[in-house]
Amino acid sequence: MIPAAFDYRRATSLDDALQAIAGGDAKVLAGGHSLLPLMKLRLTAPGTLVDIGRLTELKGVRRLDDGRMAIGSLTTYADLLQSPASNFGLLRDALPRIGDVQVRNRGTVGGSVAHADPASDLPACLLALDAELVARSASGERTIPVDGFFQGAFATGLRPDEILTEIRLPGPRDDAGSAYASLENPASGYAIVGVAAIVISGDGAGIGTANIALTGVGEVPYRARAVESALAGSDGSPASIAAAAAHATDGITVNSDFHADRAYRTSMAVVYTRRAVEAALGRIA
Amino acid sequence: MIVDGQLHGGIVQGVGQALWEQAVYSDEGQLLSGSMLDYALPRAAWMPNIELDQTVTPSPVNPLGVKGVGEAGAIASTAATANAVIDALSGLGVRHLDMPYTSQKVWETIQSAKGGPA
Repeated sequence: MIPAAFDYRRATSLDDALQAIAGGDAKVLAGGHSLLPLMKLRLTAPGTLVDIGRLTELKGVRRLDDGRMAIGSLTTYADLLQSPASNFGLLRDALPRIGDVQVRNRGTVGGSVAHADPASDLPACLLALDAELVARSASGERTIPVDGFFQGAFATGLRPDEILTEIRLPGPRDDAGSAYASLENPASGYAIVGVAAIVISGDGAGIGTANIALTGVGEVPYRARAVESALAGSDGSPASIAAAAAHATDGITVNSDFHADRAYRTSMAVVYTRRAVEAALGRIA
Repeated sequence: MIVDGQLHGGIVQGVGQALWEQAVYSDEGQLLSGSMLDYALPRAAWMPNIELDQTVTPSPVNPLGVKGVGEAGAIASTAATANAVIDALSGLGVRHLDMPYTSQKVWETIQSAKGGPA
């Protein structure tokens, strides 16, 4: 429970932090609620921790000129829940289910995304929302689509010299509803199956298009394209939603552990996909 | 107050034994539920309100008439929870299952009773 020795450096500005991580053997410390437990178990032992926790320019949610929402990477889960981002039903569902009060008060949105735990809730939400990530390095800034960002367990498209600064979400729209449904591991609280669903209405009571993303099920959070195409243009009836949800794990090697083996997890992925889609559809204003 | 608290804790511990707590080993003998990330304990928020009642019968075998109470709740609640689960599954012909009744085990039992997977 005692981490290996490390150097600690508190960044005074984003540029200062970028300079500090350029050296190599450094990890960025935000809320610390994923990194510090791993260090205490000695599953990771960075030579230097670069603490960006006091960089206020990375905190908070603001509205961009084009109507989109920009979430600073150091925004905590608790602050995000109090922000306009909670207008998204799926975030209102997912955020209170993350960790406990202490974790939500300290853990950061950017930290969760950069850490990329394959069973964390937020990546599925961001995938469904088609979020855009902004990363800064000493050589400049770039935007990265979230689809494809999660490359493996704890592996992302961030380069070692980059810091995630912002997460951009689409603006709200009246013809969409969203929801998040999850089955949690009773010990850790992480998702055995987590499903983020956004449904955009079509003609009449039907579904126009849908974005569906799952976490905890495969090696990385993923978009369930087969479910999406089955839902697109469908009548939105319980039978058509159930038929679409049956494709929740198409093409995915489903995780298996003693909490949920492959058969059970696959079955629950279908069940929770159906529930998330039905809840999302019910929320269209 | 102390006795009520002891009973609350014991009852919850007993429910945990029936539904979640387990030492799971791999085929190679490695303990898989070796940390709090994998060993599920019952949490306060998962529990219903508990109503307590008691009979007061002082022990005749010591001068103070006192008895131990720490384990009393844990003994009955495990059996009561287990019987409730088996009762719920009895319509499928289920007579016995080994504890704990995790969601996966209950699901597998239902599936196999229906002639499905597992």
